[in-house]
Amino acid sequence: MNGRPEQFTARPNELLVERLRDGLGLTGTKVGCDTGQCGTCVVRLDGRSVKSCLVLTVSAAGSEVATIEGETTRGGELSGLQEALRQEHGTQCGFCTPGMVMALGELVDSTAGGEAPTEPEIREWLTGNLCRCTGYHSVVRGVQRACAAARAEAPSGVGEPAVAASTTAGQEV
Amino acid sequence: MTAVTGETPATGSGVLGQPLDSREDPQLLRGEATYVADIDLPCTAHMAILGSPVAHAKILSIETKAAEQLPGVLKVATAADFTDVMPLPCIWIPGGVESHFPPHPYGLPGARPVLTGDTVRHVGDPIAVVVAETPRQATAALAAIAVEYEPLPVVTRADEALAEGAPQLHETVPGNLNAYWTCGDKDRTDAALAEAEVTVELDLVNQRTINSPIEPRGAVGDYNAATGEYTLYASTQGPHNHRFLLSALVLGIPFNKLRVIAPTVGGSFGTKGYLYPDMALVLLLSKALGRPVKWVDTRTGLMNSTVQGRDHRQHVTLAGTRDGRITAVRCTSYANLGAYPSTIGPGVATALMGRSISGMYDIDAAFCEVYAAFTNTVSLGAQRGSGRAEAAFLMERLVDRYAGEIGMDPAAVRRKNLVPKEKFPYDNGLGWTYDSGNYQLNFDKAIELSGYADMPARKAEARTRGKRLGVGLATYVAICGVGPSTRMSQEGMLGGSWESANIRVHPTGEVTVIVGSASTGQSHGTVFAQVAADEFGIDPDTVQVLEGDTQKAPYGQGTYGSRSYSMAAPAVALTARKIKSKLIRAGAVFLGVPEDKVVYEGGRVYEEGNEQNTKTFAELATAMWYGWGLPAEIEPALDETTHFDPPDFNYPFGTHVAVVEIDELTGETEVVSYTAVDDAGHIGNPKIVLGQIEGSITHGLGQALMEAAVYDEQGLLISSDLTTYALPRAADVPLFTLDKTVTPSPHNPLGAKGAGEIATVPPAAAVVNAVVDALSDLGVQHIDMPLTPEKVWRRLRGEAQ
Repeated sequence: MNGRPEQFTARPNELLVERLRDGLGLTGTKVGCDTGQCGTCVVRLDGRSVKSCLVLTVSAAGSEVATIEGETTRGGELSGLQEALRQEHGTQCGFCTPGMVMALGELVDSTAGGEAPTEPEIREWLTGNLCRCTGYHSVVRGVQRACAAARAEAPSGVGEPAVAASTTAGQEV
Repeated sequence: MTAVTGETPATGSGVLGQPLDSREDPQLLRGEATYVADIDLPCTAHMAILGSPVAHAKILSIETKAAEQLPGVLKVATAADFTDVMPLPCIWIPGGVESHFPPHPYGLPGARPVLTGDTVRHVGDPIAVVVAETPRQATAALAAIAVEYEPLPVVTRADEALAEGAPQLHETVPGNLNAYWTCGDKDRTDAALAEAEVTVELDLVNQRTINSPIEPRGAVGDYNAATGEYTLYASTQGPHNHRFLLSALVLGIPFNKLRVIAPTVGGSFGTKGYLYPDMALVLLLSKALGRPVKWVDTRTGLMNSTVQGRDHRQHVTLAGTRDGRITAVRCTSYANLGAYPSTIGPGVATALMGRSISGMYDIDAAFCEVYAAFTNTVSLGAQRGSGRAEAAFLMERLVDRYAGEIGMDPAAVRRKNLVPKEKFPYDNGLGWTYDSGNYQLNFDKAIELSGYADMPARKAEARTRGKRLGVGLATYVAICGVGPSTRMSQEGMLGGSWESANIRVHPTGEVTVIVGSASTGQSHGTVFAQVAADEFGIDPDTVQVLEGDTQKAPYGQGTYGSRSYSMAAPAVALTARKIKSKLIRAGAVFLGVPEDKVVYEGGRVYEEGNEQNTKTFAELATAMWYGWGLPAEIEPALDETTHFDPPDFNYPFGTHVAVVEIDELTGETEVVSYTAVDDAGHIGNPKIVLGQIEGSITHGLGQALMEAAVYDEQGLLISSDLTTYALPRAADVPLFTLDKTVTPSPHNPLGAKGAGEIATVPPAAAVVNAVVDALSDLGVQHIDMPLTPEKVWRRLRGEAQ
């Protein structure tokens, strides 16, 4: 769990989001809809973003779980993606934000070494996450900014791998 | 009332109007903000609510014994447990009409009881609650409560509820008519319609929609037996209002025994300003059990209990000349209030809608009548753009229909009828007096920016790709800055509607601003700090902003109707000016010069003509803290409060242009470009307002294209979760082209107008106008929202609506 081993006994019907919020006190992961539609509960399971309201805790046994709490130390520096979203004000009420950061982190990571995602690709990626405040535009701009920043910082220039991973991957395991 | 002279904003430090980053964002981005579901007080018990599964029935019996025996269950309560609790008040009874509800001890009409004991009136109507050790135990026990119902006939449409022989919802409300409300001049309008060269008519359904903040509502009640004090943590946009309504009007406890805290709130869009049974229940049950009691709603629960929006069925008529001059508009509307009058729902359905129907146009005669009816549906309330969006929709549909009838370009008709700049302040004949505007400038900018002149060529090009392109215009005026308390009382609002701010300058020169308003995601902390910093000429990072806790914050009415920046921010500015004025008086003492030689500028005072004789803001703060040498007429310390009640509302406005492409094969509508030019007067932080504008437009597109609360014949809400109620997703919206005009309001010292929700007002009209434009050669004159692919596809095939 965010790089630390956690050992506990889970009920067979316990949802991963219940374990995170009620069992482990990791309340950054939110519950918004109960049906897997809104995406506020997105965490990463072995690097892939999943909706933790649709995952049984027992089925996550042995996996690496990354939540918003693992993205940055408390009060510490924001990740590249978080910083880009801040600069574009890709948040308003903030309730959908942790789920978006976890889902978009995978996109930013997965494209760090290649072509930056296009605007339609970012929008397509975001269809699993509902936001009612922003209309998504500032979030899309934030992802574009994060990708651009990651590529600009790449030591060997555009297209080189690894740097966008600094947004999240270093703290993920 | 505070005197206001229409001053422009101060420019002390130049930070007002700048796109500063939101200081709230880092915490939100880290997932560290505390929402109500994250509050975990020691020994908390958990509440679940049993809502009615049927829309209309008499309750014959409720059996709770089996539920009480279940593991973890601490208490099961029904209406019988709360006979001394008063019903939830409705505080906006449309002006001048007689309420059919029995008077409340405080003169207010009662509405929904905290739990229903005799008759359920909509699916989700709360009947019983369970408190248990865990949320799962509480929810599980609901199934063990046995309720025997005697079904009653159901009605879910306002017009049908008013028909003879319709099912009756309330014994005290014969014919289900809560209010018949009118505005404007009926005789003049009827005469204009009778004499008109051209009249056009439309029957419109402004469908019911569900606001759907991503955070469901929640509440935690915490009663302290030692002090007799109650604390309510709630997902609310008006903690002071909820304190007032709950303490004085529902629970009957002293005002100062109830504290309401709004933690971080995950969106509201109007819904979280209403009083709900759960807020009272967690407090009552915490007292009964001696433990904190927490309740967090589910999505389906939210959809069956939180106020819903829009829901008018209208017959509308417009009269004009052959050459495009609009002479009259008339609206008859059947508004669906749902099963109970919500806190302010009746006012939303009447005054907020009806007085706005003439929009940006200079029309000689206008009249609106609203029949507000009870039905077996969830109560009606506000929804982002509430009332104003419904008004803009009917007017802008009518203008397009009229333009089609006389064969004139819709843009030309609109331009011809805009209220001329020199006519402000403008009495619209329906009850509003528009404060300021330059509608021609705004309209022309939008037309230019949208490339309106190129549309014929684009239409032809689209047809080569199997697409029908349509362009739709919509203009609007949105009444905001609610409001002047006296004026609102004339509208039937039973309460004040001012805002306040307190500013404390600390001995070290930092500043704390405390406001009565409460954010639901609008970055108040950032913007109010900008206002104070700008006034004082200091660094905004030294200004702290607090709100949302009634124990700490000065009174205020809350965040609704896009009013915080034009109501609470002016209170901040005026309070800062009081402090500056005091600093000038004290500065005379500290500088040893007469008061008229003291200049306050750039975060310091100095002697006019001798800038070396100066004290910085921080030095002044320290000196005022010590209080040494101050004459008797100057109190030590810097701590001031202002209650701002403006002379009148403010009226933002704008012009939107939607361009859609319809797939000839599938009927799918894609919004391919969207241009919006809005005027919200002086803006405090353009980055934050940009986000609100973009979100607002997307919200409006949702109503046009996909959102609908659908009730079946039995009154069951079919669209009761996010698998059945469609919200716009990222791929559903294009990038928008946005611009603004700036016409300051004379009604507050910042020249501000409402901004937060204004861009939700016109998109539905713009998109429907665009789709009708695309289908006009098929003889289509109107399509009801939402414009689902199937509906459009049927029209493409020539089927009638």
